Amino acid sequence: MQLDKTSPSGTGTPATRTLGVLVIASLIALSLFGLVFSAEDVVQGSTVRIMYVHVPSIWVAYMAFAFTAISSAVYLTAKNRSLGWDRFAGASAEIGVLFVAISLVTGSLWGRLTWGTYWVWDARLTSTAFLFITYIGYLAVRRLGGTHRQRARRSGVLALLAVLEIPLVHFSVRVWRSLHQEASVADKGTDVELDGLMLFSLFFGLVAFTLLFVWLVIHRQRTLWLEDAYADKGLDAAIVARREEAGV
Amino acid sequence: MDLTPRSNSEETIVPKRKRNWFAIAVIVIALVGGGVIVSQFLTSAIDYYCNVDEVGSRDGCEGDRRMRVQGIVEQYSVKELNGSTTFSMTFNMKNLNVVYQGDPGGVFQECIPVVAHGRLVNGKFESDRIEVKHSNQYVEKNETRMDRANSEAAACSVQKD
Amino acid sequence: MEHASFIIGSWVLTAVSVVVYAVFIVKRGRSLSQNASREEFPWT
Repeated sequence: MQLDKTSPSGTGTPATRTLGVLVIASLIALSLFGLVFSAEDVVQGSTVRIMYVHVPSIWVAYMAFAFTAISSAVYLTAKNRSLGWDRFAGASAEIGVLFVAISLVTGSLWGRLTWGTYWVWDARLTSTAFLFITYIGYLAVRRLGGTHRQRARRSGVLALLAVLEIPLVHFSVRVWRSLHQEASVADKGTDVELDGLMLFSLFFGLVAFTLLFVWLVIHRQRTLWLEDAYADKGLDAAIVARREEAGV
Repeated sequence: MDLTPRSNSEETIVPKRKRNWFAIAVIVIALVGGGVIVSQFLTSAIDYYCNVDEVGSRDGCEGDRRMRVQGIVEQYSVKELNGSTTFSMTFNMKNLNVVYQGDPGGVFQECIPVVAHGRLVNGKFESDRIEVKHSNQYVEKNETRMDRANSEAAACSVQKD
Repeated sequence: MEHASFIIGSWVLTAVSVVVYAVFIVKRGRSLSQNASREEFPWT
């Protein structure tokens, strides 16, 4: 492969660099709010500080999987069938898997301190584990081989099915008897069950992690574009070689 | 580099890419793992516990079988003696006395909902595992450090169930 | 802080996972972009 000396530095642009600075600043601020400024909980004590990474992580995962489904739907239904949507779907799913894993591990540590155990097979944890493994499967399906369009078609259909698990996970604590507590915000209208700075820290975490997701998905999508372009180059070379071989 | 869309005829002569065995292995693992998780969901998660008032009356909560029972730890009922913890769990005006060998972990305290694993023996619930089911309410601790008694009193005022 | 190892551990684990992933993306992007010229990139 020819090395192009005029290549740019990568997937960054001035806009993403600005966003990156904003993400770093907001994550530093979140650390201060979550670990220093916000108060301890009257029952859980300091343990509540795990919430400020645990909840935003699963929030990003939900958002990422929803975005994967939307991008897949756009790819499958749009006339021009732009592979850019498929790459957004793949990038978003990968980030979602990372954040479900973070949510499962931090939740497990939080559970050890509050519930007294790392893991229980209750409705919330079991359905979250199923969500995690489903999207691991989705990422594997994307790497099965074939053309980019074959990849986009089969993973697009899978993404539209897999996203149906999100309401199952979110409402599992209401539908079934669960050890996991119900949501403290956004589930009961105005009946917010978090005190002052705790609530602010949590919302700040959601915003910071959302910005982080945007930065990650933009860069990952661009990397996937480069991977596809690289694969196409390899195929171009192989096609030329085949044609020469056949004397076409 | 030519990035224009390929024609169908071009796509047909593309040499077959290698089968990705790693991806296939991951899919197989995901399918097996998914099956295990679904079986756990159907056998455990779908009906995680019986409430105290359902013990002996609800299907699946028969008195002679191993089960998980949920209730709120009654105020002033927790006693620690010779390495075991005894307390009374209550739910819907029904009580159940629990004996647990050891010190329950987590944020176990009075007035907090717990799930006890074990079985009924002579009217007492002999538990070998306690899980604390803390509420979804978060209340800031006052600046002055609260002692355990105050914390428990706060827990009693926080719990709504 | 009570249970500091669990609490700090959760935050560190989150930070490390995100940083490692972000570095992987950026490095992979830089390495792959060596094979193409800037004019081809849709984002430039």
